[in-house]
Amino acid sequence: MSELPPLSGSLPSTNEPLRIAVRRMRWFRAAFEAYVKAIGDRVGCTYQIDDAKLAAIFVRWLRAVESQKPSNRQDRHDYFEFAAGLMLRELTADMPLVALSPPSKSAADSAATFWPEGYACTMFCLTVHSAAMEHEFQDKPQVSPVIEDLRHWWSFKENAQMGASFSVGFLLTLLGHQPNWMMPDVFRVRLSDELQQP
Amino acid sequence: MRNPLPNPLPDAMPLRDALRGLRHAVRRGGETLLDVMPLNQLPPPATHLAGAVIREMGVLAKGVGEVASDFARIALGGGDAPHSAPLKLTARLGAEDEFAQGIYAALRLVLQRLDAPSVYVSETAARMAYLSLLPDQRQGQDADIAAALSLSLVEAKVLRGASAQDAAHVPGRAIENVAIFAVMLWLQSNRHEAEDEAALASATDLALVIAAEADAAIVSRDSPKLSALYAEFAAHV
Repeated sequence: MSELPPLSGSLPSTNEPLRIAVRRMRWFRAAFEAYVKAIGDRVGCTYQIDDAKLAAIFVRWLRAVESQKPSNRQDRHDYFEFAAGLMLRELTADMPLVALSPPSKSAADSAATFWPEGYACTMFCLTVHSAAMEHEFQDKPQVSPVIEDLRHWWSFKENAQMGASFSVGFLLTLLGHQPNWMMPDVFRVRLSDELQQP
Repeated sequence: MRNPLPNPLPDAMPLRDALRGLRHAVRRGGETLLDVMPLNQLPPPATHLAGAVIREMGVLAKGVGEVASDFARIALGGGDAPHSAPLKLTARLGAEDEFAQGIYAALRLVLQRLDAPSVYVSETAARMAYLSLLPDQRQGQDADIAAALSLSLVEAKVLRGASAQDAAHVPGRAIENVAIFAVMLWLQSNRHEAEDEAALASATDLALVIAAEADAAIVSRDSPKLSALYAEFAAHV
């Protein structure tokens, strides 16, 4: 496991807890724009953002997060990870980014070159998640070495195009978990509860 | 809570509205003239003169429309304190005018974002909408009050004269209802003065995403449904 690339500083400042700020449209949009600009500078490419798509993604994500929110506070830590996966699901379901040029500063066999849009969205979700976890739990999440493995990114892109729910499992894999691939976008605690019901 | 007393001071609001109505007519007329007049087919002195007259009318009329904008910040709360629960439905003197001025300026900004800046906004209608709320509609949760006010603003026809081209910028062509929803959502959001415009832009974008739901609730005058939408999204602007 390793630390994320240091781009968390590109997120806009806020006086509110990050878990609150990220659920405000104006912060979410500013954060996405700033992060995409920063990662574009790092990999050497310019991205174009579709604002209307981003707004619709935000609303779908809010509703998805709310609909599966666990009632038990003990599940908050796990749910933060799951919520980041849901964000990636919504971003990949209707990609709001277009790379206007191939990344000029990335290796040919890197994830950024292979799928610049998916890479930017994934790193955004991981970065926001990391910042929120640090703020809420004084916990700095590590990412799995598979983040460097192009085969995982190939699988991610291929499967996400067939069903966006795969994105949740991919993100949880990057965070070192073994997702439930049958229903990756169902919060596992809720799934467990439901399976135990007669 | 009793209804606020009418403001006894000389009433400038209908005059402002009348001047804005003139601006609207001139703008629309100017657009129509520019659309239909073959200015480029006139000989040079005539085309310059005709074009200059039409543009001048537009500039003069535009100036009239900005009169109320400076009041908006005062009306909707200034200073550095966060605006929370900003639906100031008090019985104090002039509250309805502050509300109307604020609604006017906010609607203008929303219409610009919706790429429909020439839709006519009536400040007088906004005041009437405020005054026509029943005492029991002035109480309760912010979302409930906002829902009642939204329906009242629609009924008072605070927005008028949207063209088919204006309406096409909003899903379902519901530009008037979506613009009102956006402003009322923004009024309920928690924000600092420095964030006012960013919050209004966000409220507009949220309103566009849920345009079909907001429009359906307004068209059917479903106040509980409208209130539920406000309650769901006010914290997320």
